[in-house]
Amino acid sequence: MTVLFGTLGWRPQSLVPTIRSTENLERVQFYHSDHVKSRDARSKVIEFCRSLGVPASAAEVTDAYDLLQVASQIRGDVRKERAAGAELRFNIAGGTRLMSSAALLVCILEGIPATYVHDETYREIPLPLLRITYGEGLTPRQREVLAFLVKNREKDFTETALARALGVHKATMNHHLRELEEKGGHRAPRGPERRATLDREARPRDGTARRVTACPIGR
Amino acid sequence: MIATMGFDERHVLPALRLMPYDRLVVVAGRDTFRSPGFRRLKALEPDLQAVGVKPFDLAASLASIRETIAQASRDGPVRISASGGPKTLTNAAILAAFQEGIEAWYCDPDPVRLPVLRGIRLEEAFSPAERAVADLLRRPVLYDRLVATASARGLARRTAHAAVRSLAAKGLIELVTGQGAVEVQPSSRFPLFRDHLRPAAKKG
Repeated sequence: MTVLFGTLGWRPQSLVPTIRSTENLERVQFYHSDHVKSRDARSKVIEFCRSLGVPASAAEVTDAYDLLQVASQIRGDVRKERAAGAELRFNIAGGTRLMSSAALLVCILEGIPATYVHDETYREIPLPLLRITYGEGLTPRQREVLAFLVKNREKDFTETALARALGVHKATMNHHLRELEEKGGHRAPRGPERRATLDREARPRDGTARRVTACPIGR
Repeated sequence: MIATMGFDERHVLPALRLMPYDRLVVVAGRDTFRSPGFRRLKALEPDLQAVGVKPFDLAASLASIRETIAQASRDGPVRISASGGPKTLTNAAILAAFQEGIEAWYCDPDPVRLPVLRGIRLEEAFSPAERAVADLLRRPVLYDRLVATASARGLARRTAHAAVRSLAAKGLIELVTGQGAVEVQPSSRFPLFRDHLRPAAKKG
């Protein structure tokens, strides 16, 4: 059975062809913005799904222009469905450009086949299956640090705790973390831009140690 | 500045107003270059360079934009405005910016700076050999026959063997042994991926 994910903008027609074409469709899960036209489109898609006897659920994204936040929300839901054993498909045609990009990024990270629907002809266009690798520019030790953070993503680590866990001196760990940080990006003037490889909280003024976590894209 | 564009130049103008640039490269579908919107933009920026792509072909657009970035980088820093054109084109621009580690912006009309993911690489999830083998698989077929057919179409036998094993490891096909022969069967996941696994069209 297949769960179809989708991003929805103002036009139900951008999602409907994929609902029609998906074999063994179990459920539709789609994301839309808080714009009134998107909410109208949501009602139409849910109505269409009801006419087919397919359950559909819609989630409103908090900020349709925040690529990482939308990607994080979608990725969480995708992982839940996958853990439940569902096969997944994604239509990225609707929503803002950044919602679509967020969805495509999740598809690349999670290996989900993604489809676009042509804006005028409403023909489905299967998108190429891409994969992302980001470890090739890292040294073996940097890869080890990043892999450890990803594996223990639910826990918080200070640099000292991380050094202890991996059996290196804390100065050495600080060096590796700085190098990893430099291989990431830098913060945005607007929006929650995160580093490519890891986040290090700004050093708190109270002198306590700062936390180190893998960034959302690395997770 | 490299800017993606559809038929409406208004998606491009905010980026031009908000960000300094020395040279403008517009990436768009060929129909765009015949549109009134492009003519108006050209009137504002007579020296702009136009790069034609197939805007609904994500892979081709990604390759063209990467090449454009590489060329433009020889003259100095490059940034992308992924604000115009169909979403396949803007997605390609954003992915190209990720891969090349350059600034990407979305300005429509407020500027949003997109994440910079340095040091990543994007590649096809399936090799040409895997796609060629998958393309041959319509129904269950004997392993040896599948490899022989793939070889007849130009794949080295060793490559065909490796592609079959790799597709099995990725869960797209199943190898079923029975009556002394191995049969290759498309898995239940295979139909979901079939359209995405078609071999890339040959150029020219």
